[in-house]
Amino acid sequence: MPDRRSVRLTCTLNGRRLSLDAHPMARLLDVLRQQAGLTGTKEGCGEGECGACSVLLNGRLANSCLTPFAHADRATIVTIEGIASGDDLHAVQEAFLECGGAQCGICTPGIVLAAVDLLERTPHPTEHDVRAALAGNLCRCTGYMRIFDSVLEACRRLSASRA
Amino acid sequence: MQPFSYEKVTNEHEAIERARLGNATFVAGGTTLVDLMKLNVEVPAALVDINALPLNQIEDQSDGSIRIGALVRNGDLAQDSRIQSRYRVLSQAILAGASAQLRNMATTGGNLMQRTRCYYFRDPVYPCNKRQPGAGCAAMDGYNRIHAVLGVSDKCIATHPSDMAVALVALDASVHIRGANGERAVPITEFHLLPGDTPHRETVVRPGELITYVTLPSGPFGAHSAYVKLRDRASYEFALASAAVALQVEGTTVRSARVALGGVATKPWRALQAEQVLTGSTANTAAFRNAADAALTGAVSRRYNAYKIELAKRAIVRALTDALMD
Amino acid sequence: MEAPQIGRSVHRKEGRAKVTGQALYVDDVAPAGLLHGVTVRSPTARGIIKGIHFHPTVDWDEFTIVTAADIPGVNRVKLILDDQPYLASDVVNHPEEPVLLIAHRDRARAEDARRRVTIDIEPLPAVFTIDDALARREIIWGEDNTFKRYRVNKGDVDAALAAAEIVVEGEYETGAQEQLYIEPNGMLAIADRAHGVTVWGSMQCPYYIHTALAALFGIPAQRIRVVQMETGGGFGGKEEYPSIIAGHTALLAWKSGRPVKMIYGRVEDMASTTKRHPSRTRHRTAVDRDGRLRAMDIDFIIDGGAYCTLSPVVLSRGTIHAAGPYSCPNVRVTGRAVATSAPPHGAFRGFGAPQSIFALERHMDRVAAAAGLSPEEFRRRNFISSGETLAVGQTIREPVNMPALLDRALALSHYREKRERFARENARGGKSRKGIGLASFMHGAGFTGSGEVHLRSLITVEVSREGAVRVLAASTEIGQGTNTIFSQIAADALGIDCDDIEVARPDTLDVPNSGPTVASRTCMVVGKLVETAARGIRHTLVDSGYLSVLYDREHFRAACERYVDAFGALRATSQYQPPSGVTWDDEQYVGDAYGTYAWAVYVAEVTVDLTTWETRVDDFVAVQEVGKVINPTLATGQIEGGVAQGIGWALYEDVVWREGRMANAQMTNYIMPTSMDLPSIRVYFEEVPYPNGPAGAKGIGELPMDGAAPAIFNAVADATGAHPTHLPLTPERLMSAMETIGA
Repeated sequence: MPDRRSVRLTCTLNGRRLSLDAHPMARLLDVLRQQAGLTGTKEGCGEGECGACSVLLNGRLANSCLTPFAHADRATIVTIEGIASGDDLHAVQEAFLECGGAQCGICTPGIVLAAVDLLERTPHPTEHDVRAALAGNLCRCTGYMRIFDSVLEACRRLSASRA
Repeated sequence: MQPFSYEKVTNEHEAIERARLGNATFVAGGTTLVDLMKLNVEVPAALVDINALPLNQIEDQSDGSIRIGALVRNGDLAQDSRIQSRYRVLSQAILAGASAQLRNMATTGGNLMQRTRCYYFRDPVYPCNKRQPGAGCAAMDGYNRIHAVLGVSDKCIATHPSDMAVALVALDASVHIRGANGERAVPITEFHLLPGDTPHRETVVRPGELITYVTLPSGPFGAHSAYVKLRDRASYEFALASAAVALQVEGTTVRSARVALGGVATKPWRALQAEQVLTGSTANTAAFRNAADAALTGAVSRRYNAYKIELAKRAIVRALTDALMD
Repeated sequence: MEAPQIGRSVHRKEGRAKVTGQALYVDDVAPAGLLHGVTVRSPTARGIIKGIHFHPTVDWDEFTIVTAADIPGVNRVKLILDDQPYLASDVVNHPEEPVLLIAHRDRARAEDARRRVTIDIEPLPAVFTIDDALARREIIWGEDNTFKRYRVNKGDVDAALAAAEIVVEGEYETGAQEQLYIEPNGMLAIADRAHGVTVWGSMQCPYYIHTALAALFGIPAQRIRVVQMETGGGFGGKEEYPSIIAGHTALLAWKSGRPVKMIYGRVEDMASTTKRHPSRTRHRTAVDRDGRLRAMDIDFIIDGGAYCTLSPVVLSRGTIHAAGPYSCPNVRVTGRAVATSAPPHGAFRGFGAPQSIFALERHMDRVAAAAGLSPEEFRRRNFISSGETLAVGQTIREPVNMPALLDRALALSHYREKRERFARENARGGKSRKGIGLASFMHGAGFTGSGEVHLRSLITVEVSREGAVRVLAASTEIGQGTNTIFSQIAADALGIDCDDIEVARPDTLDVPNSGPTVASRTCMVVGKLVETAARGIRHTLVDSGYLSVLYDREHFRAACERYVDAFGALRATSQYQPPSGVTWDDEQYVGDAYGTYAWAVYVAEVTVDLTTWETRVDDFVAVQEVGKVINPTLATGQIEGGVAQGIGWALYEDVVWREGRMANAQMTNYIMPTSMDLPSIRVYFEEVPYPNGPAGAKGIGELPMDGAAPAIFNAVADATGAHPTHLPLTPERLMSAMETIGA
């Protein structure tokens, strides 16, 4: 909740410009979940280990649990809620459904964002590229195999749609 | 709880003034600070946000050195083509640490200032001389497999966690610190302090002082350098032992050498004895092993970390071998 | 008729909500007027509470504070022996034991207040190891620090050992393991005298909580309501512990009259909640010159922590699995669960079996070597087959073909070729060694012994006038696929599409008690009830004459409409009935321990770095017979995830204890495998339909936890010649194992 030490910062969140009020050292994670009502970004550890809180901050993958709200100033932020276009899932999301990339789902938002980030930078990743790109996102359910399949399947779908 | 005050500054002078007057902590990437504030390990009263300072460039200097702004993100530094070609060991070391998410946020200056991952430091349930001077140390007779064997004191055996700083030691880097009375350059080997009786004092940075740059001299070491990190898992784990080495070789003779160690010492560790052994020797496994033995002379182990002495030696031998093979 | 749904990789029912971030976990909801609850815990392993001091700088009137004195009912967590208090009142028995609860509308204020309460404790001597518990210098529980003992006895072990030509002894240890679900424990509660108690949260077993809350508040069960939110992983870690956090949250809500939420931070979750029981197993095995097992004498001990909780049943499963899938005429297994001054250890995937199977399968390689046989040939000569009898006296009735599983696993992993090649290459020296190893094992599905009979699980299938089908069960979706497989089973039983089936959210107001979501029972036991009830609906519709034998979706809908108009509600309930001929004697501990078993052979290939003592798994082949596979993608994901947890347990996950408390209770210091650490995990199924499972399916969830660790250790032994016996195999442990053999 805003208090006398809060600041108002303006950012672009999932394509929409808005102002948010919070202490500048509040965790971006809390501001997104509590002020912006975007609860798709999850807290798994609060120490930057698990990556469940990953968001794209100015086009870079970041742990929102270790990001001070101050960094949101004039920033472009994309959370899991900004990945699908309306009812149309992103190819990464479709591939996660098809290949079993999500089990309990708590790490899924962060991993989807990491995968989207990877495929934007490296449209044709090797399995090693996928493993390296996801190394900051822990998943306890899948053993990662279905996730690797999902990311490579998303890559195929994106290539097909570009062709 | 959140700190009482927070202020964003736009130039170095202002940063130093605010910090000097308010006994404040600087915040850049925020990754360490937010983490430790949540754990209640750090409770800063005042914060000065320095992200707006123009310290985010990597610049070639006329003398051939490279100047790295304190706010350059770790990920950008590791991916810089000049660093990758001329100071490869630095790029390797950074990429061996943390995750992409953290490297995207963490800064050069912040990396140097990061705190130990000692479990007892990070959990206020336990006594810790670093967190609370005089409280005692739970690691001494606790489970100390991750703890230091070099540079230890009877007050603290916590390791310094940085990979980047170990490479900087091998590259003879200097840290530029600015305070109210001007700027000074500190060799990286003198930047971090041994714990001694005052483990809460970790660096030479005084209240009100700001790290502005790190400079890398144009050294003879570009051709042969390597970082080897041994850890419990393949990604995103702090080193049990690591070695950054750089060699200048003529034929089969080592002309000069730099050997630095991480994961086994209370600060990023320069192994001068190892360098002396190597200098003038023929570059072969026997010499590397001698150098490794020299590097760990004086190591002091506790109940669970004796294995680290041998592990560090092996890291050195492997790094020297890797460096030569490139 | 719709094409069969079983056997197809139907998409996860709630998958869309999960990949878009719309799925709601308990921390994602915040009703108006919410308070945040925190727990003040014991700083000491064991002692007498002398006083509680509240720091005077805090205005305590702003806070809701609950102590043991505020408990309206019984201050004991209802489970097996009911020995664990919700809040300690006069003594504490382990570090982090809850003593006091605090709530405030500002979560940071509540956190801060927690640190401003001091509990004065006069320390009592504590017990921290299995050896100390057995030494009984200090008695911390019962008369002899022992929660439970079992003895399984078949034949005459002493005589067989005395007469044996070859006897091989070994001792094996496993450490604790944290479940490390990525969503920490959390609950939300609303409670008052007028309306009773409602909790929403992250859980595996809604009715465990339901029963526990009724006793805690001393109110009738019908005034308790438990609702599962989306649950971010469980693995056993949300089997029994959620009763405590639900109780705490509800106590704060009861006292404050406001909604209260408690979400554990990661440190608190790791330091205070349950883990896999540490274990020590001793084997003495007699084998003849032909490599046939003559006697197995097994002493299996688990460390249960400070309270009994689930230790007896964990011990039971571990004891029954301790002799493995082998035929041996003389077997004695002594199982003990002992008390130490640590937070209670609890359920974790495999439930005691991974511990005893690790010891057994590591030991079998050593017995094979003593008999002059390869690990695979030794096992082949001793595998149990149909008609033979397990140690507990259970005769295997279903077809079992372990040699076929072994052959397939060996072929898929190129085991023989690699074993020879690695031996040649290793002999040449170098900085690393490669090895390949295997483990063969079985895992019983469903509750042990008479457990399922006592549970008497119930499920309901109901159909609306519009033909919408709902499956009502308390079985929870925790990522393993309950929603999806129940839909597939119901869809095939009704001859309709999965999309026309809804699996109700487990809410004790709506769903009958289908038992806990544990013990690899959800698919096999509860799935069978779903199948039976759905078939009942279909028969009802056909028998009523509204539905012909062949029909499509529209016919089905029309039939439902006509049926409901004519007779009212269309619903069917199904209750567990033991398959005929299944018997179990709790007193003698003999009989059919499980309705059936899944069978498996796993092969691991490793590289050991001789410079750093690091072990890397390069390839992993998992071959198993689990009955009919309902959903291949989900089943494969279960096996891969379980193998990954097994690899973590074997190599990385080391709980550091300091006077009964986990010292490395952070993800930065307790390390699980990342995407960079795991090999390709290759999963293969043999499908032998089990007559008492839905469409022939058996249990699957726990099985993969059993095989990875011993296969990896056997591969390390193959690579190095060392005999590692203590898990996890950290570099320094391998170093000392190597030193033992003079390498």
